[in-house]
Amino acid sequence: MILTPILGALVTYFTGKAGTKVVRALALAFSLFALALSILAYGSILTENKGAELNFVEGPYPWIETFKGLSYYIAMDGLSGPLVLITGILTVLVVLGSYDLITFREPLYYSLILFFEGVIFGVFTAQNLFLFFIFYELVLIPMFLFIGIWGGPKRKYAAIKFLIFTSAGSAFLLLAFMALWIFSPNTLNIPELYGKIPFWLQVWASFATLIGFGVKLPIVPLHTWLPDAHVEAPAPISVFLAGLLLKMGGYGFVRVNIGLLPEASRELSWIFITIGLVTMFYGAIVAMIQKDLKRMIALTSINHMGYVLLGAFTGNLLGLSGAMFQMFNHAALIGLLFMLSGYIHEQAGTRDLTILRGMKQLMPKTSLLLIVGSMAAMGFPTFSSFLSEFMVIYGAISLNSFYAIAIAVPLITVGYFMWMMKRAIFTPSLSNHYHDLPSHSFLHLAAYMLPLILFLAMPWLMLNIINPISAKLIIGG
Amino acid sequence: MVLPFLIVGILASFALILPGIGFFYKGFKNTHGWILSLIALLASLALLLTPPAYSLIQDQTISFTPSLTFDSLGIFFSIAMLMVSVFVVFSSYEFMKKEGNIAQYYSLILFSSAGMVLIAFSMDLLLLFIAWELMTIPTFVLAGFNKKAFESNEAAVKYFVLGTLSTGILLYGISLVYGLTGTLQLNEIFKILSQRALVDPLSLLASSLLIAGFGLKMAIVPFHMWIPDTYEGAPTTVSTFLAAGTKKAGFAAALRVFLIALPLKGLLNEWSLTFAFLAIITMTLGNIAALTQGNILRLLAYSSIAQAGYILIVFAIANGGTKALELGVSGALFHVLNHAIMKSAAFLVAALVIQHSGRADLDYYNGFSNRAPLTAFNFTIALLALAGVPPLSGFWSKFLLFTAAIEANMIWLALAGIVNTALSLAYYALIIKRMYIDEPQDNVKMPQPLAYTFILTLSTILIMFFGLFPDIVISYTQEAAKALIP
Repeated sequence: MILTPILGALVTYFTGKAGTKVVRALALAFSLFALALSILAYGSILTENKGAELNFVEGPYPWIETFKGLSYYIAMDGLSGPLVLITGILTVLVVLGSYDLITFREPLYYSLILFFEGVIFGVFTAQNLFLFFIFYELVLIPMFLFIGIWGGPKRKYAAIKFLIFTSAGSAFLLLAFMALWIFSPNTLNIPELYGKIPFWLQVWASFATLIGFGVKLPIVPLHTWLPDAHVEAPAPISVFLAGLLLKMGGYGFVRVNIGLLPEASRELSWIFITIGLVTMFYGAIVAMIQKDLKRMIALTSINHMGYVLLGAFTGNLLGLSGAMFQMFNHAALIGLLFMLSGYIHEQAGTRDLTILRGMKQLMPKTSLLLIVGSMAAMGFPTFSSFLSEFMVIYGAISLNSFYAIAIAVPLITVGYFMWMMKRAIFTPSLSNHYHDLPSHSFLHLAAYMLPLILFLAMPWLMLNIINPISAKLIIGG
Repeated sequence: MVLPFLIVGILASFALILPGIGFFYKGFKNTHGWILSLIALLASLALLLTPPAYSLIQDQTISFTPSLTFDSLGIFFSIAMLMVSVFVVFSSYEFMKKEGNIAQYYSLILFSSAGMVLIAFSMDLLLLFIAWELMTIPTFVLAGFNKKAFESNEAAVKYFVLGTLSTGILLYGISLVYGLTGTLQLNEIFKILSQRALVDPLSLLASSLLIAGFGLKMAIVPFHMWIPDTYEGAPTTVSTFLAAGTKKAGFAAALRVFLIALPLKGLLNEWSLTFAFLAIITMTLGNIAALTQGNILRLLAYSSIAQAGYILIVFAIANGGTKALELGVSGALFHVLNHAIMKSAAFLVAALVIQHSGRADLDYYNGFSNRAPLTAFNFTIALLALAGVPPLSGFWSKFLLFTAAIEANMIWLALAGIVNTALSLAYYALIIKRMYIDEPQDNVKMPQPLAYTFILTLSTILIMFFGLFPDIVISYTQEAAKALIP
């Protein structure tokens, strides 16, 4: 499953001379194939109700004999399932969305997209901490090139900043994993490692992962790379960045902190929850004052990822499941918003909210999508993002009623989205040179909404796969 | 025990014959020297890599001098260093095309290689010193090979002055050791010193002198001053040879001397602290200085100083227990091999660019991926491996070294190493950024001669192979480590 996209990447690159159309078609074919695989995998886990167990296990094959415990070990459970699914979906949509927006060096671009997909699959399915780390690091290289080559005017600065922040975070992560490896009984397979780590080591490892995963998530003092990277990245890559790369942080917190360091996570949960709350408030408040639409959306995703951190450390079923659900929802809705900001920038020539006006008359289809996307981001009860935010906040309140202040965050979010819509969509326009989305782009963008509506109508499709694993993680064992 | 002699004999006899042919046969061309020296080097490598050599290791009965050993440590170092020689000679086919005195060039490289092999196997301080000289003196001449270029002369003079100074210091240290113990055999020295209850202040002086002497070659701060200038001024293939080859010989000698003979009892804590500080200073200074360089050769020179700092960790953990030492030695050996490959590849790319355009500034690399896609790709892999990005080979060796530091309860040392690794990624990534992201000044394709492409692709394959299957090397280095540790 990991190999498919990577193989596709190679094929795509070497057919590059055959022309752009061939490259696009190949990239699409490979990503569709990967999507089919991930839907199949997800479906089979769901129908057999095996979310708490490891499915499709490959390994553990010892990889390097001399390092005991380093093995190739891949499996999917209820935690990986939704993220693998959204990876498949987003890759297809990103490939489609890049047709109009990416116009040069396409062979390299599409092959990097497929490579990225393969590595992300690896991150979400690795059951060995070391394998996980390797995939986790490998993600940086394509992302660095994406931002650096196809980005906006300040792309070089943003790419280097991204690389430095995230690789410094990874260094802490590596330190934590090395410590676990040395002091634990010679294995790094996540299922075997469970319950064998002494408490003091869990505490230290928790601090290291707080930095390591926190950079990716991002948590508030470590978030400054994110707005820059998002603003400079091309729209399809922002989708990857927010949709998948940030999820690596959230996934890491759930998989490693909740899964492997449970006692420390319980004892220190107040630290994580506080940081989560700060992140939520900070993201929401700072998003409000942004002038650039894309920067605003980027900060919204900081705000949304705060929910993940908050939910994951509540230590109860609703919160943890909500956090996982939120990751999935956020990936879909933020994808739509970023693609929209890309199209708006291309068609209106600006993303500046003080200039952008009158989209209602001039770009009716775009406006419709923007309104729908904003509603999803606000947590409007017609989308599954409402459900997940509700679950997280409910979980937090049932832990300690003080955390009810989290309820203020959706209020702020609603506020700034409304204000944005008022300015950009409903104010009469001054000029009339904008043109609207073509119909096929409209359809493609509307596809982002499908999972959100589907999972609101039938939440059991998601919760049946998430709940068993969260129950298992909370009880332990 | 015969094999080291055989190899040194092959290399030295070819080295002697080459200038002779060049003198009498007027039609002597670059190609001839290239073929002859490649034959010598590949024959020696083949001797080291073939199974009969390994059966000789077990057979301890064949020994006609205690001054030479034939253990896996020596074999490992010889393979790594001869590989560098092969890389250098192979690419000289292009780089030395238009130069005169070509027979002497290859001959000097072979002499120096013979010296390196001898260092790897010697167990006697006097033999070590002679081998050291055999390795070093040809490189003085090689560094000044562009006799009409000002920089090359400057490089040679600076290298020569500091090089001879270090030789003198080394000799002084060796003579002190002889005065203290009455023997030059490393094993004997260990026995005699370990029987003494108190630490002789003179032995302290002796080991400091030895550190300084070897340190100059190993590129340890504060003995690193000559490195950037020499690497910049010398012909680039020679810089490759110095950075990837002779530097490793310094480590081979230091590993033998410091780990076998001189771990002074009673001083172990100070000893490891000294080396830990040296390691941290070396890697930090190397990395920070590399960040600010605008010249590719100087950048690579500082990066090679930083890499030396990582390897120094092995000396710092000398009293951390057997397990830590085993991990550390095997990591250091692995890193030596990796560094030999990665650094050769990186320097050879610089050599290719210099040969083509005469430019060594980083600006020339803007948009390099358009002008020379394959070379740019190979360069990227080499740089990422130098930065220690998993799963390339450089990652595993650093991982072993840092794990060893943690194992020896020196978490702060591992932390310094990891922070430095993250720091170093910045300047490696800046080069990659230039190659792939920045706009080129022109879009003229650069020729990628076959000799370079072959070597660079080979190194990329090796980096990836050792990265994906590090077990092959590590199992061997662990064996070597076990053999080394008493």
